[in-house]
Amino acid sequence: MSTRARTNMPRRVTDMVQAALFEEIPFNVAVIDREFNIVTANSSFGRHFGDWQGKKCYQVYKKLHRPCDECPSSQVFEEGKTVMADAVGIDQHGRQTHYVGHAAPLRRDPDGPVEFVLEMTRNVTGTRSWQQEYQILFDRVPCYITVIDDDYRIVRANEAFRHSFGDVLNRYCYEVYKRRKSRCPSCPAARTFRDGRRHRSNQIGTDRRGQDIHYVVTTSPLAREGGKVGHVIEISTDVTAVKRLERDVIEAERLAAVGQTVAGLAHSIKNILMGLEGGKYIVSLGLRKDDKEMVAEGWEMLERNFAKTTTLVKDFLSFSKGRLPQLRMVDPAGLALEIVGLYRDIAAQSGITLRAEKGDSVRSAPLDPDGIHTCLTNLVSNAIDACQMGEQKGSEVVIRVSENGEKLLFEVVDNGCGIDYEIKQKVFTTFFTTKGGEGTGLGLLTTRKIVQEHGGKITVTTEPRRGARFRMEFPRKRLMALWEDSRHDQPGENQQDRSTK
Amino acid sequence: MNATVLIVEDEPDVARYLSAALQANGYRPIVADNVDSGLEKLQAEKPELVCLDIMMPHQSGMALYVQLKQDDLLKTIPVVIVSGIEREGEFDFRAYVPDPAIPPPERFMEKPISAEEFIRVVDQLVRGPRPDERRGVR
Repeated sequence: MSTRARTNMPRRVTDMVQAALFEEIPFNVAVIDREFNIVTANSSFGRHFGDWQGKKCYQVYKKLHRPCDECPSSQVFEEGKTVMADAVGIDQHGRQTHYVGHAAPLRRDPDGPVEFVLEMTRNVTGTRSWQQEYQILFDRVPCYITVIDDDYRIVRANEAFRHSFGDVLNRYCYEVYKRRKSRCPSCPAARTFRDGRRHRSNQIGTDRRGQDIHYVVTTSPLAREGGKVGHVIEISTDVTAVKRLERDVIEAERLAAVGQTVAGLAHSIKNILMGLEGGKYIVSLGLRKDDKEMVAEGWEMLERNFAKTTTLVKDFLSFSKGRLPQLRMVDPAGLALEIVGLYRDIAAQSGITLRAEKGDSVRSAPLDPDGIHTCLTNLVSNAIDACQMGEQKGSEVVIRVSENGEKLLFEVVDNGCGIDYEIKQKVFTTFFTTKGGEGTGLGLLTTRKIVQEHGGKITVTTEPRRGARFRMEFPRKRLMALWEDSRHDQPGENQQDRSTK
Repeated sequence: MNATVLIVEDEPDVARYLSAALQANGYRPIVADNVDSGLEKLQAEKPELVCLDIMMPHQSGMALYVQLKQDDLLKTIPVVIVSGIEREGEFDFRAYVPDPAIPPPERFMEKPISAEEFIRVVDQLVRGPRPDERRGVR
C-alpha cells in the first residue's frame, strides 16, 4: 500500500509534500542511477558539493575520476537494502568533509530491481573535530581511563592504560588490573553500578610487566539522568612514585633512628666498660693491699657489669628485631583505658591519680594494638616514676587521646619531676635511664621505634620540676597507607591471584 | 691535709671506681649521685676539684657546671668532665652551654678511662704539673 493510499491524501498534496521534503530536509539528498550518474539532487546538496549536473557521484562527492573502492550505493544496488556509512568527501571549496550517509533503494515495483539509489548525507565535520579532540584528551590525559560494561568487561581504554596494561579490550577489568579470576571484594565500580554515584578508592594492581602499580581510582556512572547505569568510567591516577617516596621517607626516618640508637648503645657500653675497669682496678688494689673485702667488692663489680653487658645485648637484640606493625582497626581510646585499668592501682599506691581523657572526634584507626600498648605502658610507667621522684602532692598522670586535623594523638602528661633540657635532647636517642641499675634505658627507644613503624613521631615537652608531656602523633594519611599495604600483603584472595601470574 | 675531690656521678660503679683511685692516691673523694646533692656538697665542702658526669637523671651535669662557674666563690674550682658523651671525637662544650661568658671546663675525659690516666689529670689540676711536665711545657 502506498503512503498516499494510507493517508488518504489527494495525489497533488502528496506530491507537494514530497517535493517540500526533498528540498527542506536537513540532509544533502541525491538520486543516482546504476552508472553512478546523479540524476537529481536537492539544493542543499548543490550548496555543499557544488555543480552536479551531468556528473558521476564520485566526481562530486570525492572529486575522483573512478568509482570509490567501497561504494555503499553499489551495495544497495546489489543487495536491495538500505546501507548506512561514514565517509570522507571534499566539498565545493576543496575542504575535507566528514559525513554520515544513508543510501536507500528506489524501485518502481516493490519486487523489482533497484533502479536508483537515494543518498542522504549529513555533514558531521564539526562533530568529528569534537570527537577527535575528545579522543586526544581521552588518550593523552596522564591517567588511566577505562569504560567497563555491567559485566565488568573493558569496552574502552585510553592510551596510558593500554601502555601499562596492554591490549585489554573485552577483558574483565579485575583480570587486567589485578590478575584476578573473580571480582575484587572492594570494587568501587560495583558500588557505582549499584547506586549510580561516584566512588573513590586506593588500589594496588599489577601492570603487564608484573610490576605493582598503586593507583587511586574514581568510578563514575555513564548513564542518562535517572537511567540505569549501563557503563562505568574508571579514572585512575598512578601514585606508585608517591607511595615509593612515602616509604623512602619512613625508611630514612627508621635508618636515622638506627644511627642514633647505635650512638646511644655506644654511650651505654662506655659506662659498663667503666664499671669493668673499676672492678679490675679495685680487685688489683685489694690484692696489692691484701684486702680481701676490697677484692670481693671489685669482683662483685666485675660480675655486675658482665651481667649488665648480657642484659644489654639481649635487650638490644630484641629491640633491633625489625617487625612490621600488625595493624588492626581499633578504638584508640580503648587502648588508653586498658592501660589505665592495668596501672591505676599501682599509681594509687603512690598517691598518684591515673586517668584517661578522650577527645570528641576520635575515630577508629589502623594500629598495632600490642605495639601501642607497649608504648603507653612505657610512657605511663615513666610518668609514674617521675611523679614518685617529684614527691609533690596531687600527682596525676593523664593519657589523652584526641584528633588534631589529620593526626591521631596520644599524650601522656604528668606533673612529676620533669626532665632537664640537655637530657630531653637525648631522651629518645640514648639508652638513658632514670631507674639506676634496674632499667636498660630501652623503654623510650622502643617506644620511638614502634611509633616510627606506624609512620608517626614522638616528642616531649617538659620543664624540670613541672612535669612532662610525651606526645605520639600518627598522621592518618600514613596510617591509611600502611593499612592498605598490610591488607595488600595479607595472604588472601589478592595473594592467591598473584601466585597465578 | 688531703685534697678533696667531689665526684658527681649517678652510676654507682663508676663513682666507686673513681673514688677508689682517688683514695689510693691520697685524695679525699666525696660522691654525689645527682645535681642537687652535688650542689649542696659543693657549697659545704668547697672541694679542690670537681669530677662531673653529664648524663644524669632529671638534671644534666651541665646545670651544676653553669652554677659553679657563675658563683664567684666557686668558679676557680677546676672541673673534669668524665662522660660517655662524644661528638665526632671531640667534646662540643658550646652545644651544651652557648653562653660565651661561661668558660669551658678544664678537662674533658671520655669514658672509659684508666685510673692512671684519671689520677694524672687530677694531679695536674690540683697540684699543678710535675717538674718534668713543667719542663716539657716550656
